[in-house]
Amino acid sequence: MKLCEFIRPATLAQARASLRKLGPKGMPLAGGTALHFMPGKTPVSAVDLTGLALSYIRQKGNFFEIGAATPLSDIQRYRSPRWAMHEICRRISTHQIRNVSTIGGNICRVFPWADLPVVLLAMNARMVIYSGKAKEMGADEYFSSQPARLFRNGDLLTAVKIPVLKAQHGFGSVKATRNAAAFSMVTIAALLELKDGRIAAARVAAGSAIPFPKRLRSVEAALLGKEPSSETFRAAAALAGTDAKWCKQEGMSAEYVAGLAEVSIVDALERAAEFARGRTA
Amino acid sequence: MKRHELAKNFKQVNTSVTKIDAMQLALGKDSYVADFLPAGALVIKMLWSPHAHARIKKLDVSKAEKMPGVKCVLWHGNVPRIVHCTAGQGFPEPSPYDTFMFDNKVRFVGDRVAAVAAETEEQALAALEAIKVEYELLKPVFTLAEAMAPGAPVIHDEPEAHVPIPITYEPKKNLVAHVACEAGSFKKGMAEADFTFDETYETPYAQHCPIEPYTSMAQMTPAGRILITTSTQVPFHCRRIVARTLGIPVQKIRVVKPRIGGGFGCKQEILLEDVTAMFALRTGRPCLWRFDREETFRTGRTRHPFHIRLRTGVKKDGTITAIALECINNTGAYGGHGLTVVSCSGGKTLPLYHCDNILFDGKSYYTNLPVGGAYRGFGATQAFFAIESLMDHMAEAIGMDPLKFRQLNHIRPGEGSPIFQALGEGREGVPMTVGSNALGECIVQGAEAAGWEKRQDWRGKTGRYRRGIGMCCLMQGSSIPDIDMGAATIKINEDGSFNLNVGATDLGTGSDTVLAQIAAEELETATDKMIVYSSDTDMTPFDVGAYASSTTYLSGEAVRKAAAEAKRQILATGAEMLGVLPEEVHCEDSHVLTRDGSKKVSYSDIANYSLYQKNQYQIIGTASHITKKSPPPFAAHFAEVEVDTLTGFVKVLNYVATIDCGTAVNPTLCEGQTEGGTLNGISYALTEEYLFDGKGKMQNASFADYHIYSMRDRPPVKAILVPSYEDTGPFGAKSVSEICINGPAPAIGNAIYNATGARLNEFPFTPEKVLKAIKSVKR
Amino acid sequence: MKTNTCSVSFSINGEKKTFATRPDEKLLDLLRREGYKGTKYGCGQGTCGACTVIMDGRAVYACLLYAMQAEGRKVRTIESMGTYDKPAPIQQELVAAGAVQCGYCIPGIIMSATALMETEKDISDEVAKEYMDGNLCRCTGYEKIWVALRRTLDRAAAEPKKKASKGGKK
Repeated sequence: MKLCEFIRPATLAQARASLRKLGPKGMPLAGGTALHFMPGKTPVSAVDLTGLALSYIRQKGNFFEIGAATPLSDIQRYRSPRWAMHEICRRISTHQIRNVSTIGGNICRVFPWADLPVVLLAMNARMVIYSGKAKEMGADEYFSSQPARLFRNGDLLTAVKIPVLKAQHGFGSVKATRNAAAFSMVTIAALLELKDGRIAAARVAAGSAIPFPKRLRSVEAALLGKEPSSETFRAAAALAGTDAKWCKQEGMSAEYVAGLAEVSIVDALERAAEFARGRTA
Repeated sequence: MKRHELAKNFKQVNTSVTKIDAMQLALGKDSYVADFLPAGALVIKMLWSPHAHARIKKLDVSKAEKMPGVKCVLWHGNVPRIVHCTAGQGFPEPSPYDTFMFDNKVRFVGDRVAAVAAETEEQALAALEAIKVEYELLKPVFTLAEAMAPGAPVIHDEPEAHVPIPITYEPKKNLVAHVACEAGSFKKGMAEADFTFDETYETPYAQHCPIEPYTSMAQMTPAGRILITTSTQVPFHCRRIVARTLGIPVQKIRVVKPRIGGGFGCKQEILLEDVTAMFALRTGRPCLWRFDREETFRTGRTRHPFHIRLRTGVKKDGTITAIALECINNTGAYGGHGLTVVSCSGGKTLPLYHCDNILFDGKSYYTNLPVGGAYRGFGATQAFFAIESLMDHMAEAIGMDPLKFRQLNHIRPGEGSPIFQALGEGREGVPMTVGSNALGECIVQGAEAAGWEKRQDWRGKTGRYRRGIGMCCLMQGSSIPDIDMGAATIKINEDGSFNLNVGATDLGTGSDTVLAQIAAEELETATDKMIVYSSDTDMTPFDVGAYASSTTYLSGEAVRKAAAEAKRQILATGAEMLGVLPEEVHCEDSHVLTRDGSKKVSYSDIANYSLYQKNQYQIIGTASHITKKSPPPFAAHFAEVEVDTLTGFVKVLNYVATIDCGTAVNPTLCEGQTEGGTLNGISYALTEEYLFDGKGKMQNASFADYHIYSMRDRPPVKAILVPSYEDTGPFGAKSVSEICINGPAPAIGNAIYNATGARLNEFPFTPEKVLKAIKSVKR
Repeated sequence: MKTNTCSVSFSINGEKKTFATRPDEKLLDLLRREGYKGTKYGCGQGTCGACTVIMDGRAVYACLLYAMQAEGRKVRTIESMGTYDKPAPIQQELVAAGAVQCGYCIPGIIMSATALMETEKDISDEVAKEYMDGNLCRCTGYEKIWVALRRTLDRAAAEPKKKASKGGKK
């Protein structure tokens, strides 16, 4: 993408005003990594969002709030017993990219291989959007289609709120890649809530091998009320095909990818269950 | 004292001297082609063919020529039409002349159409878009079967296409080369066998991926000559080929090779220099052409994919009675290295094991896909996958441990092979017996390091993750006998330092350092007394270049001979200064001493005496070297893997690469060659591949999608140097650089089998292929 | 629309400088144009690491940053790392271990390793590899680079904590 101007607003309001005015000729920029790969011959004005104090991680009540311009490497380094975001962030791309690429940039425009939308769907994160004032949106609504739709008027994503994991929560994710820095072939994330030895709630999401990240509702339904056993997980994962139409990846057939996804779902659920057991033990 | 222990007496050789350019590179000093870009240089950009096979009906550059900043546009309408070969090989090349600077036909996605030189990159790119091209699409040829089919589209229908030496070449049939030989009787051997095998194997495309992409710069000198500063493995071949392609004398061209950011074979090709030189000539301005990474994948040279049929017979006692190796390589749109790579797939593999009845048949065909070239391993890599996979298969059939089966059959010191003579590179080879050979010891040491004794049959293994160990044995060569030549000059300076000027090309391997060690050893001085300058066609003697595992063995011996000549002069002058006869003095520690050591003069004194004081002359030695042999280095590799039987993902847990390279002139650099080539081989076996769409366009032309390993992916690779002493090499050395890349595909394949019972005859071992093979295993 | 020229000011190797640039010029191109040529072009796509520089303490790809993004920041390149007389410890160790083959990746490796050492404490192998996963080398197989890095880390860990004030902000 060609840039013809570089604008550095000092406040959210200024940033929003600039983007509103520019319309399609404006492009918000945080890490800016994706811009280098976007097609388009018409030069656009970059509106730099890194000067707006949007890079932070803090725990507030039942949520961890992550500023939209927080680089992935900061999320990777953050630790808390009630938090699991670092695990996926350390697996995304390379160190230099993680130092620049932001959580906001990863989810304002969702690329097919993106991992974070999958994790945020499973975690039931909430997105904070500034449109003159702050409003919140749940992950299901936010990721119901390409989020770019939400930002056409210059509105901006300012933060992502991740629920603090409770004692009975277990989280697990699987990112299947050909090597450490490669794009995902399949990403699966699962959040289980256990009660009296049974699965009381489940959120399972998938991405990469499907056109757009989504929750696997049939898999979730099959888990409810069951014991968190391998048999339960395998039976539930077998239903993934009804939720998602897997695509071929890296020269490998859709049939293979479907099988890989199924195994990855089981693995993610096993990890989530283990996580929960480890926390309650 | 055993032969290989001779190396212990050396003072400069067989020590890990610090690589002489290492600190310069670690400090980030200007070193590579693009670092020397003069102010005001033009930027070159190429319009590449989007089609796999098409004729250019119309090409209009008039609008582009008028664009801002554009200084020159080159296309087939305004450059000489001179047929040539881009492969940087000896002359005349054993490769077809089938290439023009620009042609009116395109033969693969990424072929040249037209080039622009402009003041800035943006202007050059904008001009490319203004070039109008009308193509007549021709039926493309994407597979060997399509290329060989009767009535197949003819990829090289131009009348000029020919071979400069008498070798088989039938472009009307898309046949680039055919070479065949038989020793004994394959048929008879098969009749004697207790078990016979007939397997086919496929090996994939791969790119070398030097981190410095192809980069070339040309400028006019004040004297009206063309100075080409370029990232090449073959500066002298570059000069010759550019002269031919431009139709100008060799005398008008100087090629300089600064530090090179890796090559691995891909820079043994004249892919940019003709165009950069032509632009410099036309514009009078310095011109830089640097491929981007995508261009390096699409247009850069690749490893030839092979289709291999391997038939063997074996007796119950382990005697191999017959081998028939039939290799067909896909050379892509142009035929450089087609013949030699397929020849080496037999010549550098078949002598490894005893067998009286060997048949080899190698063919090379054009297709409309990316172009094969030289790549570390050079055909041996592909053939060893088949041979070493089948060795395990045969061992299992006769109930023998695969390691013992290899120990029983491998070539011993003093033995020859009819293959050495039968298969050369473009002509017959030379008869040869193997001198140094520590393969037996390689196998023993490697097995111990890899824990071979704990290896268990796959049938007892259960569970999702299964581990297995596999091995293979390997050989290569050291230079091309009777063809390759290297030369060196060495002269003394006042302080007892020496200028060592070599034609040999250090492309990051450390050959400048190794050659300095050899010179210092011969001259009985210290390596840090050497000022090494390599491969500048105006300033250094000739050398064929860095390929065919030749530099240490061939150029190293030229250096040793040049140093010996300089030493003779030093002794003579030293004797004159000491007032004794030359026979009465010897060299030691940068001095000339009388026999009893009572009188001595330093090299510095000798230099000053000879340059300034009496009977003045320049102490200088020059020597050339050709070889009569190509002594093989040997290796045994061992891989331990873990296979996820639910997904087919394979993880290498541990890898051991032994190497017998004769005397390791610089052990640390030898380990470095082995570790690097081995890791390259591991990703070649597991994750590297060219994915094409239906129109012959590579779909994954970036490091994001073409997977080479990072530090995070790297399994531990242990290199073990097993010494031997090669009498024909400098201080006992033979080659080290190529052999290691041949090991991982068969060793990992055999390890996957040992883990799961799944035998894969095709790699990369993608998770899908592995899973499919596991599912078809019958217990 | 015509591309405008503009200027950018940042600290380069400790020196405050202002450069003429364009809004879409990449930091890599600016640095090389201005003579910081130890920073290499390898892929232009943020995948190989040959162009790694340190910006505000973090290793970044200069090919994936617009020069304008460096405004007001502290940029460090390989040119700041050492000299023949006084090479940095990581440079010494890389040279001594035989980790420099073609050397094209090495400046980037050094910058990533430096960011690692200045950011983390008690560095495990796992963390070290995470910091180094964005630098490709095709020559060495990383064995000798790894040895040199580990030696440098261990050497730094053994030293008294005199550098505690430098870097490590977080």
